Amino acid sequence: MRFMPLVLKNLLRKKTRSGLTVGSILLPFFVICLLGTFVEMLDADPSMGRGMFRIAVRHKVSFANVMPASHLEKIRQLPGVKAAMPFNWFGGRYVDFSSFHVFQRFAVDPAVFFDIFDASAVVQGSAEAWRADRSGLLVGETLMKKYGWTLGQQITLTGDIWPGVYTFTIRAVYQGQSEASVFFDQRVIDEALPKSAGLYTMIWLKATDADAARGLIPRINALFENSPWPVRAETEKEFQNHYIALLGNVKFFFRSLTAVIATVVLLIAANTMAMSARERVTEVAVLRAIGFPRRILFGLLLGESAFLALFGAAAGLAIFVSLFPKMRAFVLMSPVAGLAAAFRIYPDVLAGAFCVTVLVGVLAGLVPAIRSVQRSIADGLRLVA
Amino acid sequence: MLGIPLKYNVRNLFVRKVTTSLTVLGIGLVVAVFLCVMSLGEGLTRVFTASGSDANVLVLRQNSQSELQSGISRDQVPIILTLPGLAQDTDGKPLASPELVIVLNLEKVDGGSSNVTIRGIGEKGMKLRPGLTLVEGRWFTPGKSEVVVSKSVSKRFKDCTVGQTIRFGAYRWTVVGLFDAGGTAPDSEIWTDVEGMITDFKRGGYSSVLARTAGRAARDQFVAGLAGDARLALEGKVERKYYDDQTSTAAPIKFLGFFVGVVMAIGACFGAMNTMYAAVAARTREIATLRALGFSRIAVLASFVFESLCLALLGGVVGCVFGLFAVKLALSGVTGTTNFATFSEVVFAFRLTPALLGTGIVFSLIMGFFGGLFPAGRAAFTKITDALRQVG
Repeated sequence: MRFMPLVLKNLLRKKTRSGLTVGSILLPFFVICLLGTFVEMLDADPSMGRGMFRIAVRHKVSFANVMPASHLEKIRQLPGVKAAMPFNWFGGRYVDFSSFHVFQRFAVDPAVFFDIFDASAVVQGSAEAWRADRSGLLVGETLMKKYGWTLGQQITLTGDIWPGVYTFTIRAVYQGQSEASVFFDQRVIDEALPKSAGLYTMIWLKATDADAARGLIPRINALFENSPWPVRAETEKEFQNHYIALLGNVKFFFRSLTAVIATVVLLIAANTMAMSARERVTEVAVLRAIGFPRRILFGLLLGESAFLALFGAAAGLAIFVSLFPKMRAFVLMSPVAGLAAAFRIYPDVLAGAFCVTVLVGVLAGLVPAIRSVQRSIADGLRLVA
Repeated sequence: MLGIPLKYNVRNLFVRKVTTSLTVLGIGLVVAVFLCVMSLGEGLTRVFTASGSDANVLVLRQNSQSELQSGISRDQVPIILTLPGLAQDTDGKPLASPELVIVLNLEKVDGGSSNVTIRGIGEKGMKLRPGLTLVEGRWFTPGKSEVVVSKSVSKRFKDCTVGQTIRFGAYRWTVVGLFDAGGTAPDSEIWTDVEGMITDFKRGGYSSVLARTAGRAARDQFVAGLAGDARLALEGKVERKYYDDQTSTAAPIKFLGFFVGVVMAIGACFGAMNTMYAAVAARTREIATLRALGFSRIAVLASFVFESLCLALLGGVVGCVFGLFAVKLALSGVTGTTNFATFSEVVFAFRLTPALLGTGIVFSLIMGFFGGLFPAGRAAFTKITDALRQVG
């Protein structure tokens, strides 16, 4: 520890170089943190651990097939079901099909909606007002901010799966999970399209407790096994995983990217250290001639490179944390807003990236440090730079 | 104005072997990462840009973005087939195929599952897609629950080789053949006959109708005819355009490629700057001598920027070689992701095009230019007297 000032002093000898190296460590560190956060975001439980009791039921073939309303009645009567409702993917478009205007629209049953999504809270308007107005719309808070909508405003959606033009009035705003969706009464679709009334792409339910939820999944699957509309029931988490699995092997892809980026940092840091060590050959020889043991000189060089990495990682961390609210806002406005609730700071991701970067810094200093202390004193002194 | 010989710079790069190679490797890896991500996006884009024909019109329900969301009832089909503009087959019937599209969640060979499109086609369906070739087995016989599977799907999903049976709930289909669509959209699909499929899935109608029109004028006439018929509430989209509209699927990947690429490039640029600063510092006296001999500041500046460009170019070439190896060896197989317009898997291959390689080289040169500019500036504005006085 006594030699700490010397290590720092050495770093300050070439300010430009140290600054550039810190910069070239900082940026990749930032990318590593971001990629890690994305992987965690995909892994995150959408309900923050409370989703175990929520079960999604869909047609066994895929989301795109429908189930009859009688399924909902049968599910409601099962023991252990607290509440169940249609959860119909509306699709459609708002303004146009560009990705800016992508948000999720669902037709549900307002009477039991808040029994199922019990972690969501109405922050503007009221649940009663939404229930009272058949063409009322429940909107996530993020979406309200994105468009600058106000309570009582009329919103027009054009249907594709459920053809027609539907106008809704914003009656309530919620906070809770996935705040980039809108919900309205299933009966709106049923009345507009009598031919496809009572056909649901999904049914969501809430079990009374965890045990009931575990029992309900096989029970629901078995109940409709031989019906013309076989179903697949799964927990909210499984349902989301399934959705994410559709993206392909994103996690593997991101992890490989991270590994390559760490290697780039290694090369850059190693290069800097090699340059520093080369310039100080004579100096190291003089120090050794005075009587400094190899181990201390080795530590000095290694410490220098570890410090560079430490500074880079610390600065990267500071920038990442300070820019985070902006990035989050950006993600919330993007088409993946549905997942963005889980886009938050994950301390283990940042800690992991920090450790990897510092480790890479130490590794980078290893070869130059070994080479420079192994050179004989006479060789070192003879060398004229 | 006299320039400093380029050889001076090139040889200097070889004198400082370790530093040069570390910097080259750093730049190379950044370029390689960029190329791999971009070739992923490129491969995905190609599936859509290469799919569809300009002569075919896809008839969908109004406002439908994809076939999956669309629905056409049985009684609408005869009306569509009598609209003017359709091309006729040799047997005098219109060249059009009513089709049903459903996505099935099938298990993958390497674990997990994904949605695969199963498409029922009418009797003219094959004639509308001349690019398709059978590579194994035979085409399906209508009414016998037989399917043909694309070669790529067959490699990625369980029970999809010739002779096997795809089981799904109560459904059973025998695989009788494999086809190859040359990297276009059908390469992500399973095909069977539409009437059998409607019975299997208890559907009341079709998803879409694909129709061949006789030339550009006939095509516009057909599309206008569809739009003008208020009974139908359908719309016609040129098949090529329908697929082009789905290329936005690749946009997030390309965004990621650019984002990671640019941030890493700035990092690598700092690395190159370090190397060039060291190169300049070690040659202060040399530079001063050059200046004393009469070489202008501009010549010195140009000379060092050139050196940095050489360094980066080497890195760019190394990156392209890495990228080529990675794409040819490690990433040579087909891969897939989900097209969220159709909620089903798109199978595609990484594509490293010459244009992309060119972008990679330009990318590295940009890094080199900015990495070299400031160090070269320092070299050019060295005071001759000070520098010559310096010992060592």
